[in-house]
Amino acid sequence: MSRWRAVGDVLLRRAVELAILLFAISTLLFFLLRLSGDPAAVLAGEEADPATVALIAERYGLDRPLIVQYLQYLASTLLLDFGESLRGGLPAIWMVLDRLGSTLLLSFLALATTIAIAVPLGAWLGMRPDAAERKVVNGGVYVMQGIPGYIVGLILIQVFVVELRWLTSIGISSWTSWILPSLTLASFLVPKMVRVLAANVSEALREDYIRTARACGATEREILWRHAVPNALLGATALIGTQFAFLMSGALVTEWIFSWPGFGALLIESVDRLDFPVVQAAVFVIAFLVFAVNAVTDVAFRLIDPRLREQRP
Amino acid sequence: MTVGTPARPRGLSLRRLRFWREGGSGRWMLLAGLAVVLLLAIATAASLLAPPPGAFAGSLMERWKAPLEAGYLLGTDQLGRPLLARVLAGMPWSLGIALTAALISVGLGTLAGLVAAWVPGFTRRAILRLVDTVIAFPSLVIAVTVIAVLGRGFWPLALTLGLATWPIAARVVYAEAMSVARRDYVLAAQLAGVGGTTILVTHVLPALRPTLLVMLAFTFADMLIAESALSFLGLGVPLTAPSWGNMLSESREYLVEAPWMMLVPAGAIVLAVVALNLVGDGVAAISRRRARDLA
Amino acid sequence: MSGATTDTVLAIEDLRIGFPLADGGVFNAVDGVSLAIARGEILGLVGESGSGKSMLALATLGLVPRPGRVVGGRIAVLGEPVTGAPEKRLRALRGGRLGMVFQDPMTGLNPVRSVGSILSESIRRHQGLDKAEALDLAEAALKAVGIPAPRARLAAYPHQLSGGLRQRVMIALALVNNPAVIVADEPTTALDATIQAQILDLLRTRLSRAGGLLITHDLGVAAEICDRIAVIYHGRLVETGPAAEVLSRPVHPYTAGLIAAAPRFDRARPRLNPIPGQPPGPVAERAGCSFRPRCAHAGEACGQAPALEPVGGAAEHRAACWNPLFRPVREVRT
Repeated sequence: MSRWRAVGDVLLRRAVELAILLFAISTLLFFLLRLSGDPAAVLAGEEADPATVALIAERYGLDRPLIVQYLQYLASTLLLDFGESLRGGLPAIWMVLDRLGSTLLLSFLALATTIAIAVPLGAWLGMRPDAAERKVVNGGVYVMQGIPGYIVGLILIQVFVVELRWLTSIGISSWTSWILPSLTLASFLVPKMVRVLAANVSEALREDYIRTARACGATEREILWRHAVPNALLGATALIGTQFAFLMSGALVTEWIFSWPGFGALLIESVDRLDFPVVQAAVFVIAFLVFAVNAVTDVAFRLIDPRLREQRP
Repeated sequence: MTVGTPARPRGLSLRRLRFWREGGSGRWMLLAGLAVVLLLAIATAASLLAPPPGAFAGSLMERWKAPLEAGYLLGTDQLGRPLLARVLAGMPWSLGIALTAALISVGLGTLAGLVAAWVPGFTRRAILRLVDTVIAFPSLVIAVTVIAVLGRGFWPLALTLGLATWPIAARVVYAEAMSVARRDYVLAAQLAGVGGTTILVTHVLPALRPTLLVMLAFTFADMLIAESALSFLGLGVPLTAPSWGNMLSESREYLVEAPWMMLVPAGAIVLAVVALNLVGDGVAAISRRRARDLA
Repeated sequence: MSGATTDTVLAIEDLRIGFPLADGGVFNAVDGVSLAIARGEILGLVGESGSGKSMLALATLGLVPRPGRVVGGRIAVLGEPVTGAPEKRLRALRGGRLGMVFQDPMTGLNPVRSVGSILSESIRRHQGLDKAEALDLAEAALKAVGIPAPRARLAAYPHQLSGGLRQRVMIALALVNNPAVIVADEPTTALDATIQAQILDLLRTRLSRAGGLLITHDLGVAAEICDRIAVIYHGRLVETGPAAEVLSRPVHPYTAGLIAAAPRFDRARPRLNPIPGQPPGPVAERAGCSFRPRCAHAGEACGQAPALEPVGGAAEHRAACWNPLFRPVREVRT
């Protein structure tokens, strides 16, 4: 059936992109690492003695010609073998996959929070964008868009943890420590989402089919939620796909602020300690996640919008 | 059909005044633009002249003074250094890195976008595919990874951020250049036998000016956020530099004693970012309106 | 207004729809229009764009777009007032006893809703049925407007249907709750000529079971299916009467001009006879007869606004003109 063929095409296109991306990242890392000095010294860590450095050089084949090293490196990368963490000696890929669940939980909570805030607010703003009180709110959203998410996080901690002592801000152990990270990560997406939704809703409300719905006796609430908002959401679904990369950037910072045990925090720790195997594994997993989310939203978009369903990508 | 760019509007000052009279986004843009120019002037002054007194040496006797307390406009930090001086001293770092990164990003993006628009076939497809791929990847992750190798500091940071974000500008410039290339006066120039490079320089680039200005403003704002985020993560400028992100990072330890240590640099970042967004939106709105008036 | 009998399904009396002007005044887009439609009758309201005819259609639903509003007169459906009615009563009326067909079926149907869900939403709202019953009724409604394989079409989305089929869906939507009055605003204007004829045929049979108000700029369309015709110019009725009578013996120079301006295909080289001048802009001055500047018969008296009065001849044939024509059309303009 043509619908599934279109889905297949989308997946294929995304897979090609993923392959290009992974190839580009590994190549970039490989050469950057060698350009920046003796990779064996870097891999061994700052305090390593010359014997260790030599051992590392031999273990990773760093004494062989560059092109041989590169091909070997690509081959092992293909097998998801990034080597062992310089701390603790666990395979790097395990350490990253171990953190996958936490990051996915945080992303999911943030996405749900974003939708819960942005959809009603966007619909309300889009209903009558010229009303005075909505213009003020719109201005507030505009300023919110200029506030970096980690500042939102700090302010939330200041208010709810330091001043009010209502919530905890560290770790993942109890649900009270889930709220602030979710809100913080959501704050990366909410302002843009609200603005796009408001614009889409106010545009949809001017369409002829809204007049038709009114002529059939629909209430204002039905007009908004059953006719205008579903159309407005189509555009917003596409936005979630393109903004996922941004969400991952935000997860990096959010996890750091709240000591959330996801791979964003792991990545930053590992960069800080120059634990390259883990850095590389983390980047690969993030790339794969981005690929998966984009593929899913592409497919979802096609399934939601009846007009796109039969179209080839 | 005439060959040549549309007539240039006369007199720079007259045009600016018109934005004011048109009101709305134009007025906001003008105010925000002035604020941005002022910020950049202060940043330049601060980097050329000596850093403001007290930015690097304070007295513990004076620590954690609240804003307006004991004559400190914005209060002091945990070492008794006035935050006003610190914010000013941080400008060359924060604004400087952000502007440099934005110039690299928009410059590279423009180059890639124009090449993609001008060279059809494999080159175009390759560039567009690369752009799609890099855009889908979290730029902060790219930046963090590259910094792991390059190390910290002004130039590594500016380069890294520029390299991680150029595809956004490339995509916009490509789309815009393609639409300009289809305009009558470009076709006319081509029919008249004008060379490709000449057309690019005399016709396409001038038409792209508003777009580039908009991109520059938005990218500047994004880079400011990205730089401060990296510094906040401890992966940005050297820890001793008073960049706004570093100040925020330090403030985390003292949220209980001195919340203003967080609020002052946060306010500086937000004000600068909102001003830049206003400039970008204002220019975009005006060039849209102009395009509509011409049509 | 005469003729408002027990058989009247839609009565409009002295309707005025005003729009505020920049200088603080009010412009009446519809200015003192009175109409009545009896059960089983189709009335054609004919006028150029900007004559106020679409505004009148929206007013029957209580949907005059802001900042316009009904500033005078009354509208009643089956004796129940529309003007001044609370929103809740209006919603019960819209799509219930009053069905509406809009001009453009391409943009008039929600692109993300299936045909079945659009129809059943209206059925359930007005008849309070459950989902399965509503879908059965929706299927019947599609069948009644001549859509083949109606059950399968319920799952279709608007973009999957041709323009003609979409307009049939719009008509089904207007008819689905057995309305007493159906208002059709330029229902065939956006369609191909061959489809137009089919849709007109459908409208003729379906509208005549209730009462129909057909709004069109095309006298040919009105001639095709209407029992009576009302000609509107610049917000005012200039001539009303039985369709055959108005078309064969137009009394108002504007009506005569419209008939003469229509393309004819019964001559080897048809000549168009356009009405000279431009239709008045929305805020043009309204002292006297609005058609005066374009009228070949204008005289002294036309500085005063004429009333809509019987012209003799067939019953109910009325015109608002100081210098009415009584000759056959073809001889009016030589």
